[in-house]
Amino acid sequence: MINSRLMKKKSRQGAGLLLTILLFAFLYLPIIIIFIISINNSTRGYRFEGLTLKWYSELLFNFKTPSSDLVIFREAIFNTIWVALRSTIIATVLGTIFAIGINALDKKRRVRMMVLNNIPVVNPDIVTGISLMVVFTLISFSLGETTVLIAHVFFSIPYVVLSVVPKLKRLDPNMYEAALDLGCSRLCAIWKVIIPNISTGIIGGALIAFTMSIDDFVISYFTSGIDFENVSIWLYTKMKNPQNLNPTLYAYNVLIILITIGVILFISLKRDRKEKQK
Amino acid sequence: MKTLRRYSFPYLIWMILFVLVPTLFLVVLAFSDLSLYRLSAFSIRFDNFAIFQESYIITALSNSLIYAFVVTILSFLIGYPVAFYLTTLSEKTKKILIALLILPLWTNMLVRITAWERIFSPNSIFTDIFNVSIPILGTQAAVVIGLLALYLPFMVFPIFSVLDKLDPKMIEASKDLGANDTQTFIKVIFPLSLGGVVSGFIMTFLPSLTAFALPETLGWRRVPMIGMEIQKKFIIEGFQAFSINQGALISILIMLFSIASFILITRVDKEGETLI
Repeated sequence: MINSRLMKKKSRQGAGLLLTILLFAFLYLPIIIIFIISINNSTRGYRFEGLTLKWYSELLFNFKTPSSDLVIFREAIFNTIWVALRSTIIATVLGTIFAIGINALDKKRRVRMMVLNNIPVVNPDIVTGISLMVVFTLISFSLGETTVLIAHVFFSIPYVVLSVVPKLKRLDPNMYEAALDLGCSRLCAIWKVIIPNISTGIIGGALIAFTMSIDDFVISYFTSGIDFENVSIWLYTKMKNPQNLNPTLYAYNVLIILITIGVILFISLKRDRKEKQK
Repeated sequence: MKTLRRYSFPYLIWMILFVLVPTLFLVVLAFSDLSLYRLSAFSIRFDNFAIFQESYIITALSNSLIYAFVVTILSFLIGYPVAFYLTTLSEKTKKILIALLILPLWTNMLVRITAWERIFSPNSIFTDIFNVSIPILGTQAAVVIGLLALYLPFMVFPIFSVLDKLDPKMIEASKDLGANDTQTFIKVIFPLSLGGVVSGFIMTFLPSLTAFALPETLGWRRVPMIGMEIQKKFIIEGFQAFSINQGALISILIMLFSIASFILITRVDKEGETLI
């Protein structure tokens, strides 16, 4: 009896493990293909023709004889990163301020603001994209880099708020009052008491904002007009003829993954060390 | 602390500007002959509803609903057991596997779509290396598998985060009271994880419903979906008479799905804590 129950539990565990392995294989299959194309010595990429790092060096170091395609691609990469950096900084600052404000509200209003905050998170990208496009056209902002930047700030703020508010909830409100009693101004109390205590939430929010911005396609597409191209929009225009996609695209993509892994490892290791010191 | 309330006020204005104003304006566009690019006096008209009699819209809409439904159910059937299995592992393994689950999402969505395009081509690097050929490009199966690959993780995360926070004492109590594993699962674990399940359903259903770059590429435009029609109405045919008005009407229909999801999500998870 006990034996059969144990067997049942074991087989259930086995099924869970098998399904998990299959899921990971399924999710990583395209990533493996992307990686292989980026190190494959073939331009069209139909066959595997040996290992090479030439696409990486082409992307990173070829400034003397770049093809016109590469020049446009590099410009798109620059636009993507430049928008992501600015939108992350703006969204992190604004999102943190808004989160502090939301946290100070009474419960009923706080829940209402959080519901409002979650609208852009739940809404499909295409709805957000069209809504923003409509607003910008309405106030006759011509679509371009600025509107894309505002759009990215818009969809990033909710993630910053969602990642900061839980940290604020854990903060003892008396600490802030104590700082005020001890002669700190309001801004000084925020800066010296609140911010240091919610820094992990702020950093987490900033990371989500940055990765969301760098990979965004749909919202950028609807708010960019015809003059501005980031990597996704550039790629979308080329996807009609996928055989013309150059492996430098895949090299860029692998680099982005590696950089993201590096940054996250660095931050989490630093945090672990800090916790150990405590 | 109360003086800090004022910092939430600008956020309210910001949300009104970017959420409420465009929604109202889309409603006006959908029910009138107003032109987005040339604002003027307008009259109410219901002619835009005629698009719901066009066969291409009906096909696209029913395709989208069916695929989104299939993708969501498949995601749930695969995602729930996986999320459950992950919670049984040690803290360290759990952390690593969750990180590995997030990792593919840092790859540009469009680049992943082009990778699937290669996998589904009759003659590609995938065939060359793995010696298998899955030439299903341009079929419904390609679209559904592609959507599943993009959105399945969004089913796993919320369910995992709810299950992981579950108090083990609840399960012990249920067993002490004589329930077997199956009964414990049906009566205790599953109801308590419902918040995560609802979030997961919404986070996979809505993006699948509105996808447009994926069906264009993996479906070769042979498998129409409603996102493609919205994009066509707003961008490609944006300057044709009433095209944007028709697009606005379809968007309003999609928004109804979002609003329904929204009401559901605020019921089970008041502060949206399962969303990230």
